[in-house]
Amino acid sequence: MASSRDDFVIAIRSAFLKKSTQQKFSLLTLVFISIFIILLSSLDFKAVRYLKIAISEVVYRSSFVVSIPENFIKNTFFDVAEYTTFYGRYKKNESELETLKSNYVSSEIIQYENKELKELINDYVSSSNKVLAKIIVDHNSPFLKSIIINKGSKDNIKIGTNIYDQSYLVGRVIEVNYKTSRVLLLSDLNSNVPVTIAPQNIQAIVTGAGDDYGQIQYIKAGISEELIGDSIVYTSGTGAIFKSGIPIGKLQSLEKGSSTKYIVEFYSDFSQLKYVFAEIITKTEVSQTNEENKEIKESNPFEAKLKILEDEIKIIEETNVKFIEENENLKNEINDLGNKIINLNSKISSQEQEINQFDIDKKEMEFLKLNLDHGHKCRKSFFNNKGFVVGSEEYRSCVLNKGRPF
Amino acid sequence: MPSLTTKGSFSKIYSLAPIIILFISVLNEFDFNYLNLDYFSFNFPFILIFFFSLKDFKHFDYLLVFIAGLINDTVVGLPLGISSLSYMIICISTSYLRNITIRPHPIKDWFFFLFIISLINSINYSILTLFFSYTLILENYLVNNFFTFLFYIVFLNIFKYYLKGVND
Repeated sequence: MASSRDDFVIAIRSAFLKKSTQQKFSLLTLVFISIFIILLSSLDFKAVRYLKIAISEVVYRSSFVVSIPENFIKNTFFDVAEYTTFYGRYKKNESELETLKSNYVSSEIIQYENKELKELINDYVSSSNKVLAKIIVDHNSPFLKSIIINKGSKDNIKIGTNIYDQSYLVGRVIEVNYKTSRVLLLSDLNSNVPVTIAPQNIQAIVTGAGDDYGQIQYIKAGISEELIGDSIVYTSGTGAIFKSGIPIGKLQSLEKGSSTKYIVEFYSDFSQLKYVFAEIITKTEVSQTNEENKEIKESNPFEAKLKILEDEIKIIEETNVKFIEENENLKNEINDLGNKIINLNSKISSQEQEINQFDIDKKEMEFLKLNLDHGHKCRKSFFNNKGFVVGSEEYRSCVLNKGRPF
Repeated sequence: MPSLTTKGSFSKIYSLAPIIILFISVLNEFDFNYLNLDYFSFNFPFILIFFFSLKDFKHFDYLLVFIAGLINDTVVGLPLGISSLSYMIICISTSYLRNITIRPHPIKDWFFFLFIISLINSINYSILTLFFSYTLILENYLVNNFFTFLFYIVFLNIFKYYLKGVND
């Protein structure tokens, strides 16, 4: 018994401490270093943070280079799949574009109004600048949903910077290096976004599900009945982590047993991202130093309002011109159609006349034919005093009845 | 003479192949995740480190394995040191297995591997949830554990050919 325990101790000691000629460090040393680094990481120690930034700078670039062959195969596969559905998507996009064009005019007016109201509420004017960033590492890990972009602190990227795919929210920056940054995607389990569900105007939190959809959390009890399949989910701006009014996805219901779960189908496909936009916000404080500035401040909203109204008028005028043109076109079309209807009516009546004439002729032909065969039976003569006078109605009826009495 | 030099450098690169593959796999996350298959993922570095630290430990520098762990943490986005600790635990376990084994058997190694990866994944899960407040799905870890265990036997046969080449 004692010897077996000794063997175990010897084996363990040897495993931890024995260093072969090829090895520079014993395993025990390396284990201690690992634990030490983990402890420093958990305490968010500066040295470890800098070490991580330094490693990240080199590793992300290397990872990008190493991933080139795999990415090539992956992209080829997706490209082929995309081409097969190309025409269908083109047609769908075309119809969507038409709808969007018509919505654009009203949305522009709303944007102006929104901007004006925001400027009145806040004591600063925020101007945003979207920077295009390339995704250099996207491993789609089942554990952590994050991507690496090629923009960092050098390009004014900060922790919390909102990341977009076109105008849809993708995630936010959680780690910034000099030339690269890590973006936590909305689908990650650790992602929480305060949202508003329109048109019901319900406040909720969208949490990543570790999959390609998000889950609606912390929703007011009993209010979920109001939710419908076509509701839109966008950021509410609560907590000031995300800007308000950024579209995220569509609300869908998922039946799970007896309960109904509400999920968010993201507008953006995170597995297909190649480029994203990082929104760099600069806030300009509006200072009140003297009366002049006050006057300027007072006059500025007025001017802005005037400008908005002018723009609004311009847009309305443009739409009016469009409507008048459309009206004219429609009138012309109506006239053309009226003329066509008249022509068709006259054509129909002439054809009806022809048909009637044809019927009469047909009857006459039939009468003449029967007259030849049975006329002698119906004609009044010396031998046939029961007959009728030729040309009379009775004579005609007799002929049509083939000479038989009627 | 030049041919001898070429042969020598080739054999050196050939003997370093496991370490090179390990670095490529941690940089590239060789796991077929892009296939988006539900309930499928495996940890290739675990298989590679376990096999080569068990069978070809003389060509397998622990320091490089440790560095590979740091790189993996950076790529995946985990706190620094987690993967290094995992890899070191594998190296310790294989070293222990070598010391206690007189007649090695692949099936025994395979089940020992299952025990070790289960232990490592449990440690990782505990550290990440307790110390770093990560939200993780345990199911994903179990699936990863299972497929890593299954794939070991597949890669075992491939690696055996490599070892045969090194020994020849």
